[in-house]
Amino acid sequence: MREIEQVWTLSNAPEPADAARTYFVQVDQSKCESCGECENWCGTGAIQPADGKNGPRTVVDPAACLNCGQCLYHCPFGAIYEGVSFVDQIEAALADPDTVVVAMPAPAIRYGLGEPFGMEPGSYVGGKMFAALRKLGFDYVWDNEMTADVTILEEGTELVKRIKKEVDKPLPQFTSCCPAWIKFVETFYPDLRDNLSTCKSPIGMLGPLAKTYGAEKTHVEPAKVYAVSIMPCVAKKFEGLRPELSDSGFRDIDATITTRDLAYMIKKAGIDFKSLPDEKADPILGDSTGAATIFCATGGVMEAALRFAYEVVSGKTLKDVNLTAVRGEKSLRTADVPIPGGPTVKVAIVYGMDQAKIICDEVRAGKSPYHFIEVMNCPSGCVNGGGQPIPPGTRMADKSPLEKLRFALRRAFNSRATV
Amino acid sequence: MSITRLTRRQFLKAAGATSAFAATGLSFARTAYAAAADYLQKRLAAIYKQDAAMPLRKSQDNPVVKALYKDYLEHPNSHFAHHLLHTHYEDRSASVKKLKAKGIKLKV
Repeated sequence: MREIEQVWTLSNAPEPADAARTYFVQVDQSKCESCGECENWCGTGAIQPADGKNGPRTVVDPAACLNCGQCLYHCPFGAIYEGVSFVDQIEAALADPDTVVVAMPAPAIRYGLGEPFGMEPGSYVGGKMFAALRKLGFDYVWDNEMTADVTILEEGTELVKRIKKEVDKPLPQFTSCCPAWIKFVETFYPDLRDNLSTCKSPIGMLGPLAKTYGAEKTHVEPAKVYAVSIMPCVAKKFEGLRPELSDSGFRDIDATITTRDLAYMIKKAGIDFKSLPDEKADPILGDSTGAATIFCATGGVMEAALRFAYEVVSGKTLKDVNLTAVRGEKSLRTADVPIPGGPTVKVAIVYGMDQAKIICDEVRAGKSPYHFIEVMNCPSGCVNGGGQPIPPGTRMADKSPLEKLRFALRRAFNSRATV
Repeated sequence: MSITRLTRRQFLKAAGATSAFAATGLSFARTAYAAAADYLQKRLAAIYKQDAAMPLRKSQDNPVVKALYKDYLEHPNSHFAHHLLHTHYEDRSASVKKLKAKGIKLKV
């Protein structure tokens, strides 16, 4: 076990066949102070007192856990650890001259990676991120934002077909980017799987494209490509191991790490992150747009999809791309978006599984008025994902004296009160 | 000591302590919420600032995406695009049903 940016982590890289039985997140019973904070963040109730009363918590079974990591992100005592890490495997691949190692960073990385290096929250470090990945020795730095754009074309086209009844698939269509949400539907609402877009997530698309189109264009033997998914998310470690993600003829994704894991690797390599120059992604699979970068905020996928659907359906240019009606902080937002020459598209944006449950029950009852619903597990989206740098003031050592007292009282009372 | 046997003085003391704890707890919670919301607001603001600064704002305008479809995938939802970029989902409900049968309670 080693500490990676305030999170203890096992050096365990499971095989795809074992992923479903692996604890990606678990509680160290000896460190748990039974404050109950984790339960407030858990969407399924998978984390609960091991003794059935009020004692130290545990993840009862991998089947019930969405792997989102919100519990370990918010634990004041750092008592919850990650059960999977590919850091050693990636370092070995980078050291092997015969392996072509490809970095595929998600949008959210560039809005969080500065924090472990002492930069203010909200620092955009996209250019430094590309430079750091090259310094670490990645042979190609391709951008997951590029396949966020591809996702919009695929998912937007699918939505238009569903609305026009050109395919035999139900409405509303659910987004399919968030791996915790996908596991939630598969586990608790399997009858609604047809409502999920059939699109893989952006990283689910970039992996196979790197090993087919990317390898072809760069004249690299696909078998030598080692594709590394870099995500703000613990659940993406599970997604990368899904047995079905092998459409390239190989494993589509060879390894998955979080923003924290990447910061750890950069520090370990002795790279002075803050003084790096701004660089760009490599061509072929490297360009991106504003629509792609907003994927990591709640409502971002919806806004990007509407920027596409509007133009495809109406044949007109969308003049103001700032569709502020779908932005916001509430865990459920709805909007009616009129499209010239087409229907008024009814959309909903949801984050958190408590809210998603309400939406799913509505769909199951046949009472959902929406065409398209975006669902993210983490509050405000991937930028606040369970794989991001731990927010300032989370761990006890970083808390103000008043906060320390509050948690001391909660611990003393063994309280499970909601914050 | 049961609650019915409390003297008036003991009751007032307990009630006072409880309400003080509730009131300060609430104010701590507000401070905590404000601090938490602060880092998140900053991360979110950075995203929309970056979106506004990008020369291209719509996915369909990405030149690399256009080249990908022209050279390789043909068009969105093409047969080949379906093979590489689309997937199917499993029914994982049996495993939680087993847990519930064992008496484990979940929120969903």
